[in-house]
Amino acid sequence: MRNRLRVCLTASAGGHLSQLLKLADSWQGHETVYITTTDVVRDKLSKSGRVYIVGECNRLQPLRVIKVLLSCVKVVLYEKPDVVISTGAAAGCIVCFLGKLTGARVVWIDSITNMEKLSLSGRMTRYIADLFLVQWPELAEQYSNIEYLGAVI
Amino acid sequence: MIFVTVGTQFAFDRLVKAIDDFVSYNGFKQEVFAQIGNSSYKPRSFEYVKSLNKSGFDYTMKKASSIISHAGMGTITTALDNHKPLLVMPRIRKYGEVVNNHQVAIARNFEKLGCILVAYETEELPVKIEELKTFVPRKREAQTQMVAERIARFLSKLANNGK
Repeated sequence: MRNRLRVCLTASAGGHLSQLLKLADSWQGHETVYITTTDVVRDKLSKSGRVYIVGECNRLQPLRVIKVLLSCVKVVLYEKPDVVISTGAAAGCIVCFLGKLTGARVVWIDSITNMEKLSLSGRMTRYIADLFLVQWPELAEQYSNIEYLGAVI
Repeated sequence: MIFVTVGTQFAFDRLVKAIDDFVSYNGFKQEVFAQIGNSSYKPRSFEYVKSLNKSGFDYTMKKASSIISHAGMGTITTALDNHKPLLVMPRIRKYGEVVNNHQVAIARNFEKLGCILVAYETEELPVKIEELKTFVPRKREAQTQMVAERIARFLSKLANNGK
């Protein structure tokens, strides 16, 4: 490999993060940075990269979204990742858009809980993602430019 | 032992009460143990705790002969990974158990795959609990490695082409 990439891994703590971490083999050999939503997972993640906690938010809490957005802006401008990889939800989506604006490639894996349609954050990120994966075959048939290879959990 | 779990965050009185009724009125022989989360209904006919820590949960899951739970993705994938017969009752919006009906979709999909049994309403529970005794779940394999390889290919292509 000619270049070691700086990969920003971002997901809400809980189910989203545990799905993302299942894929740890994929970014072996690259530098990793984590952006997640609560402090409880910090120790576990800090063994393999810098960890930033940006707080929880969802679309029903506009003020919190702004707060999380500002924290994410700071982190993304400081870290300048080459790639952002996310399983969602809201915070992950925000980091994907910020990453894209600063020149990063975006990889999105829609959470396994979405079976009949993509998550809201997935539907938005689909427009900017360079690689978009889903975990149910029915979803890959419904939308263009998305791939199904299997479920991660 | 049948392990009943409804997650640790929210109440699921409909399921806890239905199992309690079933156990107390049917002279049910099997031992039942429950993690009831924030449910306000307290079972009279079996042991329960509000929440188990991760190791307690894993231990109970391994020890159980079968599982009855809400249709949470975490519980379903954990039960399937442990090859346990699983009966789920999805939380339903009209009963105020959840904000949308995603658990119904989850339940229906895994039921279609033959991986789990589902009781959508409490009336179905007794029959399904009987079925659970002999239910052999279809094995489900995650394709984590395939997905990881796809992402690894994407990254190495990017790394080799210069950033």
